[in-house]
Amino acid sequence: MALDEIILERVIQGKALPTIRFFTWNPSSVSIGNFQGAEQEVNIPVCKNNGISVVRRITGGGSVYHDRNGEITYSVIAPEEWFPKDIVKSYEVICGWIVNALNELGINAEFKPINDVHINGRKVSGSAQTRRKGVLLQHGTVLYDANEEKIALLLKGRADKYDERLTKSIKKRITSVKENCDASRGELAKALEKAFGNGKEIAYSGYETQELNEAKKLAKEKYLKEDWNYKR
Amino acid sequence: MINENKRKVEGGKFARIGIEITDNSISSVKITGDFFLHPENVLEKIEDALKGTKLPFNAVEAEKKIVEVLEAEKAKLVGVSAKDIAEMIDECVK
Repeated sequence: MALDEIILERVIQGKALPTIRFFTWNPSSVSIGNFQGAEQEVNIPVCKNNGISVVRRITGGGSVYHDRNGEITYSVIAPEEWFPKDIVKSYEVICGWIVNALNELGINAEFKPINDVHINGRKVSGSAQTRRKGVLLQHGTVLYDANEEKIALLLKGRADKYDERLTKSIKKRITSVKENCDASRGELAKALEKAFGNGKEIAYSGYETQELNEAKKLAKEKYLKEDWNYKR
Repeated sequence: MINENKRKVEGGKFARIGIEITDNSISSVKITGDFFLHPENVLEKIEDALKGTKLPFNAVEAEKKIVEVLEAEKAKLVGVSAKDIAEMIDECVK
């Protein structure tokens, strides 16, 4: 999350090119939306007992369990003017790239406003966006292999208590790439890379040392701090 | 006294409201949920604008206050509306 914010700032300052990045979370973590109540959304003692950290995003939206092996996270950081001004329409553009990637794997998927991608009425991807000083940051996840039991244990959803029925209700509402095709996670990553890069001139690169150092500093000052993560 | 309310907006997002009432006026407002607001720091300004509102609560006036903050800050709420927030407060202070 710190890297996303640092790259966003660097794109604003003209120090970095518009960026697309794909990553996974190690260790597995929970992220919550900027406006969510941490204790309302997340079963914090269970997270602590399982070594799962909780981090608040700068973007709105809902809580997400980022399983180390169960998903791919993306971020797109680019000038706002490259996208429709209307927020939902701009979600549709980037979520459309996810739809294209899933199509490439033979899965029939569709954009589900406001910010989701569905396969046969079940969510496979969620995204969240912010715009700062003319630059858009959208990040989101694509579920590769869903662990509904873990989601039900870690996230409270709209129920106030954990209930076994939650796992069943999550299973009805979410799906994964693995449930819909035989592609490996690597193949999903390749399909995403191709779909996101389509029509763009792409320069592949790692992170700059300065970027990483700034992100480490920001993580220490913000994303690892309780006053940010538990501010609501 | 703390009053709470929650709402899943049809075709939109989920929001919760926590209201504290002291001496017949709203002394604190906390809005949480999975909605979107650009820029994000405007949420505190909306909460501040609603603080001090006297009871009986007037939902139309409160909606106006929220819209004024949104317009002044050139902010956009997505997934929940100013009207939803005002109605949710109205329901929980009654």
